[in-house]
Formats: sequence, C-alpha cells, structure tokens
Amino acid sequence: MTSMHDGHDGHNTFPVSSKVSEFEILELAVRELAIEKGIFSAEDHRRFAEWADGVGPHGGSKLVAKAWSDPAFKEKLLTKGTEACKEVGIDWLQPTGTGTPSDYTFFYVLENTPKVHNVIVCTLCSCYPRPVLGMSPDWYRTPAYRRRMVNRPREVLAEFGLHLPDDVEVRVHDSNQKSRFMVMPMRPDGTEGWSEQELAEIVTRDTMIGVALPDPKVRVPVPAGEVHQ
Amino acid sequence: MANPRFSIGDEVTVRDETTLFHTRTQKFARGRTGVVVEHRPEWVIPEDEAFDRMETGRKEPFYVVRFKQTELWPGYTGQSIDTLESEFSERWLVPA
Repeated sequence: MTSMHDGHDGHNTFPVSSKVSEFEILELAVRELAIEKGIFSAEDHRRFAEWADGVGPHGGSKLVAKAWSDPAFKEKLLTKGTEACKEVGIDWLQPTGTGTPSDYTFFYVLENTPKVHNVIVCTLCSCYPRPVLGMSPDWYRTPAYRRRMVNRPREVLAEFGLHLPDDVEVRVHDSNQKSRFMVMPMRPDGTEGWSEQELAEIVTRDTMIGVALPDPKVRVPVPAGEVHQ
Repeated sequence: MANPRFSIGDEVTVRDETTLFHTRTQKFARGRTGVVVEHRPEWVIPEDEAFDRMETGRKEPFYVVRFKQTELWPGYTGQSIDTLESEFSERWLVPA
C-alpha cells in the first residue's frame, strides 16, 4: 500500500502542520483591512502579538504564593480578585484602559479544599484568565478538552495524571459568560518555611487550570518582582 | 433594573429555548435544574452584545448556578458528589 507519507512521490516528506482554519483566514482578512485603512499598523500588530505571547502564568503563581503566605491577602484575592491582582503588578484594565473585549474584568479565584477540587474550561470557545495566566495552552482550546472536561472530568484529569479520591467533589467551572476564573490549589506539605518566591515556583500553569496539583519537587522558574505588563 | 429575582439557594431550571443566536447558554444546561450559588453584576445580555448594543442593550442580573453532574449527564461516570457551575442571565432561568 502506498501512502502520501512514503517519501517516494517526489514531494517533501516533512510533517505538515494542520490546515488553516476559516477563523484564521477571517482574522488575516480583518487584520489586513485594518492595516490598509490605517486603524493600526503592521508594526503595532506585531508589537501587540509579541506582548500577548509574552504574558506567562507568573502573575497567577505570584498571586497564589502570596495568598498562601498572607491570610489577609488570601481573603482579598478570594473576594476582590481584580483588585488583588494589582498587588503583583497586574491591572485587568490594561492595555486598553477598559480591558480587552474577551478578557473582561470580573476575575474570581476558586479555592481548592480537602473536599472540593476546582477545574476550569470554556465549552463555548476558549475563555481563559489571560492577564494572570497568559495565553492558554493549545489543548485547552481543543474540542476534545472542552467537550470531555464537562461530562467526564475525572477521566480527563486521570489522563493528565491526576487521580482524585472518590470523596473529593470535582467542581467544573464552565466560563461561558464574562467572568474569568483561576484555581488556587492547596499548599502542599513539605513547603513549610518556604519564601513566596520559592512557593511561586511550584504553582505551575496547570495547577491553576486545575489539571494538576503543586509538587514541591517540581519547580518552574518565576521572575522575581512585579509582573511587567 | 429591579432587584435580582432569584436568591442564593433558590432552585432554578434553565429554559429550554432555541439554540439559535448568540445566547451563551449551553445546550447541555437547557432544561436542567440547579441551585443559585452566587450573584454576578448586571451586564448587557449576550443576545444584545452580539450586535454591539453595549449602550442600549438590555442589562440583566446574572447568576452562578451549580448543577449536580448526574443531573446534566445521564450515565455520568464520575462520583455523585461532582458538580458543574456556570453563569446565566435572568431571562434564562425559571423557578424549579
């Protein structure tokens, strides 16, 4: 049986990335029109894309580490999420002054407890707390994650390597409207006496989506100081 | 806008209306019953926001509703204590 991947057809045999979707074509067309009409320049677009791609999950890591270390800040984070973000240098209204159209300014932090494990998903599209976690991972936007996390959450979590006890409630948050959510995992044992900076390094992106738990042995570098927007 | 029609703890059913148009009300939630667990600020409903009627659009209270997963999915394979939360504008909810 011959196939298009056997390398004998004279064409290149490199893996080909997925087809361009209709939405990508639409984005390109709107962008080119906006540039032609002088609404913004190609350089403006490049700068914005570079900025947006550069926002990582460090803001979220710092929020959680600070909340673990400071009960008063934890209370503020759980009740006034958007306000609390300013203390690590994140202003949800930036860069436009009114936020971006899809990153609205209702931000809620979901606290994990010994009895409740939270996890976020957006079944309608790909809503994600970008100011605190940066761009969402590719898998978060896939139909497979979006469809299955709502109706088979324990199976999906198991595929991520997270097996929760039967007596822990799995609470899925479908961010279908204006609110944006982030999970605050529980502080693991073995981190007594750690600094905020050390704690932030175990609060990885996936622990704030809710598909993983912090592990004192798994640390990801987090730049010190405020987040630069 | 008047005070929110529903209070925290109220049982509500999501109306089973058309899935056409921009409603942001998931099909899987329609006709299902859950409990109001939080109020959200009023904002323009998606049906009007879709047409960019941000100034003149209808504003309504929104609610966080918590469902038992077993209520949403027949044959749910997880635990009976598992839940799902999502937000709905007032027009989509009726007393259960």
